Amino acid sequence: MNDKVYSITFGGIGGQGVLKASEICGWAALYAGYHIKKSEVHGMAQRGGSVESHLRFGKQVYSPLISTAGADYLVCFHHDEHPRLKGFLKKGGADLTASLDKVEAAVDNPRCVNTCLVGVLSTMLTIDQKCWMRAIETVFKKAVVAENKRIFRMGRDIGLS
Amino acid sequence: METAHGYNKGLMAKKKTTRKALLSGNEALAYGAYEAGLGVACAYPGTPSTEILETLAKFPAIDAQWSVNEKVAYEVALGAAVSGVRSLFACKHVGLNVAMDPLMTSSYTGVNAGFVIVVADDPGMHSSQNEQDTRWVALYSKMPLLEPSSPAEAKEYIKEAFKISERYDTPVMVRVTTRVSHTKEDVLLKKRETVKKGKLEKNAAKYVMVPGHAYQRHIFIEKRLRKLASLSERTRLNRIESGDGKIGFITSSVAYQYLKDRYPDASYLKLGMSYPFCDEKIRAFAKTVKKLFVVEELDPFLEEHIKTLGIKFTAKDPSFRIGELNPELMPEIVAGRVKKEKKVVKRKPRLCAGCPHWASFAALKKMDAFVAGDIGCYTLACLPPTSALHTCVCMGAGVTFHEGIRKGGSKKKIVGVVGDSTFVHSGVTGLINAAYNQVKGVILILDNSTTAMTGGQQNPATGLTIRNEPTKKLILEDLCRACGADNVDVIDPMNVKAFAAILEKRINEDALSVVISRHPCRLIKRRV
Repeated sequence: MNDKVYSITFGGIGGQGVLKASEICGWAALYAGYHIKKSEVHGMAQRGGSVESHLRFGKQVYSPLISTAGADYLVCFHHDEHPRLKGFLKKGGADLTASLDKVEAAVDNPRCVNTCLVGVLSTMLTIDQKCWMRAIETVFKKAVVAENKRIFRMGRDIGLS
Repeated sequence: METAHGYNKGLMAKKKTTRKALLSGNEALAYGAYEAGLGVACAYPGTPSTEILETLAKFPAIDAQWSVNEKVAYEVALGAAVSGVRSLFACKHVGLNVAMDPLMTSSYTGVNAGFVIVVADDPGMHSSQNEQDTRWVALYSKMPLLEPSSPAEAKEYIKEAFKISERYDTPVMVRVTTRVSHTKEDVLLKKRETVKKGKLEKNAAKYVMVPGHAYQRHIFIEKRLRKLASLSERTRLNRIESGDGKIGFITSSVAYQYLKDRYPDASYLKLGMSYPFCDEKIRAFAKTVKKLFVVEELDPFLEEHIKTLGIKFTAKDPSFRIGELNPELMPEIVAGRVKKEKKVVKRKPRLCAGCPHWASFAALKKMDAFVAGDIGCYTLACLPPTSALHTCVCMGAGVTFHEGIRKGGSKKKIVGVVGDSTFVHSGVTGLINAAYNQVKGVILILDNSTTAMTGGQQNPATGLTIRNEPTKKLILEDLCRACGADNVDVIDPMNVKAFAAILEKRINEDALSVVISRHPCRLIKRRV
């Protein structure tokens, strides 16, 4: 493992599953053997307000927060939130907002946009496919694991296309 | 091995060798306390501390409860520690204020088994009404203070806290912040320790705090503080990390993590036990670096003490005492700059679509009432377009502010508003006060049958325990009558006309009336 710390900013509004998306990635990184720090917001802020989650993983991570122009990836679930969040992205970082429309068009249930966009993200990270599957099994209730795996793979196909 | 979290049940089952889990600071505190043999845990919900008890309640071996309020929680947990069981009280910073009465004297009584106070501060006020720095409480109450900077540390420190509590006969404060509580980190899960229970013994000199006994205990406390100061010098929680010697930081909590990102080559004195202060270690560290900085979030707690040691150092500009720190601010602080207030355009929180509070506040707005408010989701009714809540200071104040504001003799219609959980928390005493002092007017209890703002916890009026088991249900209307309310109406605010009519009728009467506006929170409905 090299010393690089990967930084991913997730953002959207309350109820979109922003935290769930960062949770899948966090567990996938855990199964891949990384040290992880992931910040979240709870409570009042979640009442339909802006929700943001920062995920950082690597050999050793200190700050749980990503600085301006510090994110390798930006995963944004709402176009309204993009102007505020884009400042997090590094020069040359990947902005997954570009895939948001495709993902929204591909999934029937808007509640699954998060898993699908994580699928897109997974094609850009060097985390093994097995780790992602285990992460989905860990994060979701048993009844929806299979469905989320399917949607995740759909996201992967969009990411690879 | 018993596991609490749904995640880990799956995790363990699949691969016995891995015992790592991705835990929030709050979950890590709960796991750490569980592993330390915790027996009893009490709290009232409050962001950012709520998940500590929620996680503890998942361990059958722990007697966990949502208490009526923080004072009650503190006393039950302290009593358990006096009986010989390791116990824990958790709260948010403003919750600690409610528990200050027993807290101050519990420093005198000490404990019979480990007793830990976990308090979660909220720098930046993500979900709070003030930005107080509770580290001062350690100094004020003469208790030791531990400050973990990450979830992994939180898990380790809470175990240390139980040991210190028992070895030094003192409650121990573990202070976290939102950024520690709500950061997730991979942590190692371990087995639960078996701890020997203490015996319940009569010891009036220790547990009956009358002046003569308390005087003797004060002598003990001062001795204890000196011993704890000596521990603070020795403990590995106060750690020196030698760097290139050019610059050195004395720091604590998450500020340490932000600094490490920006200044990986600097020297650090990382304070994990920040009170009592480790003066000798601070002096020794200061000598090893060319330029010394003290960087801490919120108040100048370390700064003011280190000044008294006559050491030269640079601290943050006072403008940085306001708000949360972040890694980007570190170079600004080191350069001695003044904080630039940035305007961040964020989507503000608001009441959910279909929330029954919309209906209650629509009626209040139509009446053009002056509304004394309280703490809960409904506090959001202060924002446009509703703008129909006009005060919010603390829990229970919806009832008492109503009384106080009436004293001004204004001709305006005045209504006091409180939630179901907050009414039980501390509104009920205000209602008794109003009845006793012959106050008239209308108190509106917004009963959505849950503690909604913190994520839907149970309370005495829901009739379910922290583990969702049925229990005695507090009947709010009976309680209000018993307190001395002349009229008690229960009505669904979604019946817009009838609701407005009742309010209008009661406000024009010369009586003390309680209107219970009852409609369950949309979020709990969905969960069922």
